[in-house]
Amino acid sequence: MTGVLRQVYWLLWKDFLLEVRRRDNLLSMFFFGLSLLFLFSFAFEITRDNVSRMAPGLLWLAFMFSGTLALGQLFQGDRENDCLDALLLAPMDRGAYYLAKVLFNFSLMLLLEVFILPLFGILFRLDFWHLLPDVFLYTLLGTLGFCVVGVLFAAVTLRARARALLLPVLLFPLMIPVILGTVRSLQIILGAGAAPDLVPWFRLLVGFDLIFITAGFLLLEWVLDG
Amino acid sequence: MDRVSKVYGLLWALREVRLELEPGEWVALLGPNGAGKTTLLRLLAALAYPTAGAVELFGQPLPYGNSPLRGKIGFLASGGHLYDNLTVSENLRFFVSLYRGDATAEERRAVLDEVGLHEKTGEYVSTLSLGMRCRLAVAKWRLVKPRLLLVDEPYGALDPSGVDMLNRFLESLCAAGGIVVLATHDVPRVLERCSRAVILSRGRVVFDEPRQDPWDSFHTAFNGVVSSQDTGGPR
Repeated sequence: MTGVLRQVYWLLWKDFLLEVRRRDNLLSMFFFGLSLLFLFSFAFEITRDNVSRMAPGLLWLAFMFSGTLALGQLFQGDRENDCLDALLLAPMDRGAYYLAKVLFNFSLMLLLEVFILPLFGILFRLDFWHLLPDVFLYTLLGTLGFCVVGVLFAAVTLRARARALLLPVLLFPLMIPVILGTVRSLQIILGAGAAPDLVPWFRLLVGFDLIFITAGFLLLEWVLDG
Repeated sequence: MDRVSKVYGLLWALREVRLELEPGEWVALLGPNGAGKTTLLRLLAALAYPTAGAVELFGQPLPYGNSPLRGKIGFLASGGHLYDNLTVSENLRFFVSLYRGDATAEERRAVLDEVGLHEKTGEYVSTLSLGMRCRLAVAKWRLVKPRLLLVDEPYGALDPSGVDMLNRFLESLCAAGGIVVLATHDVPRVLERCSRAVILSRGRVVFDEPRQDPWDSFHTAFNGVVSSQDTGGPR
C-alpha cells in the first residue's frame, strides 16, 4: 500500500506542477462556471419563495458542466508527447493513477466551489452563510461522486476520437444519483424540508462514492490496458 | 515471441513473428517504413496486445496492467515520453520515482553530467532540441537500468557525440546481461555495434541472423527487401 501511496504522491506532484504552469484547467472551469451562474440568474426568475428549491439545482448544473470541461482535459497533459505510454510502461499501479486523477480533479473542483459558492449566494440573494458548513459537506460528497465516476469515464473515452462528445453522453446519466442526492440535500438544508430527511440522501451519496471509488480503483487497469 | 500477429483494422502490421532474445544481445531491428518495427517494439513493451500468438518475457507471459515485471522493460523513444512543462530535473525525478523511488540529487546530477545536460537541469523540456530530449531519455534509462531496452529510431536526433554516448550506454547494458532491441533506418551505424540483425518486411521476419564478418547474407536480404518495397507488392 505504501508503494501505491508513493505513486499517488508523485502523480499528484506532476499534475499540480503542470496545472500551476499551464493554469488552463482551473481558469476555464472558473470562467465557465461563473458565466453559467450569470446566465442562470438572468434566465430564471428566482424569488424569495422559490430560491431554496431552484438554487441548488442551478448551482449543481454549473458545477457539473464546469467539472465536465475539466474532465475532458484531465488526461491531456499525459497524452502530449506520448507520456501516457511512458506511464503505462512503468510498473505503476493503475489504481494509484486513478486515485491521483480523482484527487487532482477533486482539488480543482473544490477550488472552483470555494470561489463560486459565495458568488452564488450573492447573485441569488441567498442568506445561507450560517448554513455554509452543511452546504459544504453535501457539496463535498457530491463533488467526490462526480469525480470518481467522471475520472473513470474520462479514461474510458481517452482513446476515442469523439471523446469530447462521448464523455458527457456516458457520464450524465450516471450522475443522476449524485445530482438527485446533492440537490435534494441542499434544498432541505436551505429550508425546503426537515433535517431528518437528509439522512437517506447522505447515505445515498456516501454509498455512491464508496462503490464507484472502489470500482474505479479496480477497473482502471482494464480500461487503460484493455 | 511465438507466432505473434497484430492486426490494425484490415492491416496486418505483424504476421506470425517468432523471435527469441538472449541476455546480452543487441538486436538491430531493420526494415522499410511500415514494416512493423514500432508495432513489434510496442508488443515487447506490453503497450499493445498481440492479435494472435504469445509474448513471454524472462520466462513469464508478458505483463499487462500492474506487474513488477514492467520495471524491467525500458522504451527509449527519441524526443517522446517527456513532459514539456516540467524541467529536465523534474522529468527525471518523476519518471524514476515510478520505477525505484526518488533518485537522489547526486545521482541526477551525475547522470545529467554523463549525458551532457548538466547545464540544462532547470530548463523546461519544451525549450530543448530533439537531440537534447533524446539525451534526457537516455539519462532516465541510465538511472532505471532496465533489463530489456527497446529503442525506437534514436540516431536521427543525436549529434555524433550523442550517438557515441548512446552506444556506450547500450553496450554497457548488454555487457551487464541486458537486452537491447534497436529499430532504426540508419543501417551502417547500427551494423557497427549490433550482435544480431532482424529484418522485417510487410510484417514478416525475412531475416534473422547473428552478426558475421563479412555479412554478405545480410546485405543480400536487405537489398532484396528494399527493392521489393520499391516495386510494391501484396501485403
